[in-house]
Amino acid sequence: MSGVSLEGIVKAYGAVQVVHGVDLEVQEKEFVVLVGPSGCGKSTTLRMIAGLEEISGGDLTIDGRVMNRVAPKDRDVAMVFQNYALYPHLNVAENIAFGLRIRKTPKDQIDSQVKEVAGILGLTDYLERRPADLSGGQRQRVAMGRAIVRNPKVFLFDEPLSNLDAKLRTQMRAEIKRLHKRLGVTSIYVTHDQVEAMTLADRIVVMNDGRIEQIGTPMDLFLNPANTFVAAFLGAPPMNLVNATMIGDNLAEFNGQTIELPDLADLKGSVGRAVTLGIRPEFVEVADASVANQVKIDVDLIETLGSEALVHASLSDKPFVIRTETLGKLDLLDNVTGFTINPKLIRVFDAETGVALPGQVHEQ
Amino acid sequence: MSGKKIPTVGETANIGAHVSQPSKLERFGDHMRREWQLYVMLLPLVIWLFVFLYKPMYGLQIAFKDYSIFRGVAGSPWVGFEHFERLFSNEQFLRALKNTVVISFYSLLFGFPMPIILALMFNEILNKTFKKTSQTLVYLPHFISSVIIAGIVITAFSPSAGIVNTVMGWFGLEPIYFLTKPEWFRPIFIGTGIWQESGFQSIVYLAAIAGVSPTLYESAVVDGASRWQMMWKITIPSILPTIIIMLIIRIGNILEVSFEMVILLYQPATYETADVVNSYIFRQGIQAGQYDFAAAAGLFNAVIAFALVMTANTISKRYSRTSLW
Repeated sequence: MSGVSLEGIVKAYGAVQVVHGVDLEVQEKEFVVLVGPSGCGKSTTLRMIAGLEEISGGDLTIDGRVMNRVAPKDRDVAMVFQNYALYPHLNVAENIAFGLRIRKTPKDQIDSQVKEVAGILGLTDYLERRPADLSGGQRQRVAMGRAIVRNPKVFLFDEPLSNLDAKLRTQMRAEIKRLHKRLGVTSIYVTHDQVEAMTLADRIVVMNDGRIEQIGTPMDLFLNPANTFVAAFLGAPPMNLVNATMIGDNLAEFNGQTIELPDLADLKGSVGRAVTLGIRPEFVEVADASVANQVKIDVDLIETLGSEALVHASLSDKPFVIRTETLGKLDLLDNVTGFTINPKLIRVFDAETGVALPGQVHEQ
Repeated sequence: MSGKKIPTVGETANIGAHVSQPSKLERFGDHMRREWQLYVMLLPLVIWLFVFLYKPMYGLQIAFKDYSIFRGVAGSPWVGFEHFERLFSNEQFLRALKNTVVISFYSLLFGFPMPIILALMFNEILNKTFKKTSQTLVYLPHFISSVIIAGIVITAFSPSAGIVNTVMGWFGLEPIYFLTKPEWFRPIFIGTGIWQESGFQSIVYLAAIAGVSPTLYESAVVDGASRWQMMWKITIPSILPTIIIMLIIRIGNILEVSFEMVILLYQPATYETADVVNSYIFRQGIQAGQYDFAAAAGLFNAVIAFALVMTANTISKRYSRTSLW
């Protein structure tokens, strides 16, 4: 079992603690993405797994063996860095072979392994070139080749696509996904890009301020965010958060408007309780003046993206975004006055703690 | 509408022909208006170069003249290569040339790698206080004047009170008057140069090492490289372009043996191994007043240095893709 287990992992620099007891179980062959804003501790956590940062507390286990004090080379992990970390004085073949050479692998074995990896990554024609003569995407492939060739137990990716342009990033994302399917190696991937997280991960770990906010499958996190942080972090555009006050068991009021909420045990008899309503931009239906029971919004701007459009509006003086189809709705979009939503699709959070109220599970 | 014809799709290939191109002069004017501050900053150096390096070149012609300070540079008669012929038939000059080449060769051989080794060693020191202290200690000799350094060397190697002879005495060895022995001049001279300059020269390499991306080392650590392997496979190859540039500069100065240190340390008894081209020029030109003859020796020195730099640069460009120009 080449899984990775983190139990109460802590990282402190002197008196300053930056990772506060992270617990995570990564199963064998699983692709786990750590996602969160800059400075949330995701890269530090990955570097602790790699052995590049000392672990201040807790236990790290790889393949059933505690690794806290094991040297990086003996952890049998390979890492792909954001800036590729290619040796500028070595050509592609030598870069890929570097780890094997260091480990004194026989030359004929190195040659055959390098050829095989170059074939997998489409680098066969570039083996003699130096990194300076390669494009960003090719360099990233070489960096992955260097990790793959060692046939490690675990792949660690530290924001590997951040330096690529948008088009190349999409392409490389698909290649990484394909590669993982083909090789089936346990992978831990760090990114601040929630699209990368959603598309690549078997499971996503959302981190904030050195703590794990939620762990789950991409769709689970999208549909059932545990708190307002996760709700606002995942999704493009993110979930709209509206502050409201309960005026009935399943009725809330904000800015003089009322909205029906799902039936939740926690909300029974809670008139006057402050809640935060999470409304996904994709879950609402735009409405013109003819629609009854709509929530009124002030439309600022409509961005048409082709088959769909983003309606930028304000609700209770806060930005509110709606994502809607355009086909057959162009006339409606010119006259948007509000929206309607199925109450079951509204996620209710406690206004004070930001935690989702219990009993709300949207099936995928 | 301005009445201008809008080009059709087929005509767009020709569109450049209709756009008026600024002349070279206009472009130069635009460039100067935009970047004049840079040229103002450059000016002091250009003036310095002209006054101290280009203007004196006018005087080089005395190497081909029978120069007299009363007739001046322009008024002195041409004598062709007479001084050069004299130079190459002069045993003292040939000895000085040989000494220069030998001292330079050994200085390069032992002195050039020293700052690189020092920089690599400093890079491996983890204790910050120890690192800073040791760096300061090895930089210090560079800031001491050559006269003081020569005084220290003369005292250290003195046969009566010098530390070297004292230590030798502890082991029952006879004292040696090092500075009067021709065979000891070169090791002492080269060793002094290394001690005085290696530390300071290591700064260039330390700066180059600081420029190596830390992720290269991290990646190597994950790949299983030891510190020794990282030094050989990452640090040294990464600073190789700097090493090559420094080597080219050093080769250009190969005949420029530290003249004041030679003057301060040598004596007639050690001329045999100590007299170099520059000290020879000093004696002939300044002390004996043979300005034209000394200028010929100096010009020869410069031409050789120029040829060496060109050769080193060309070789480096061909084999390592690194060059000064």
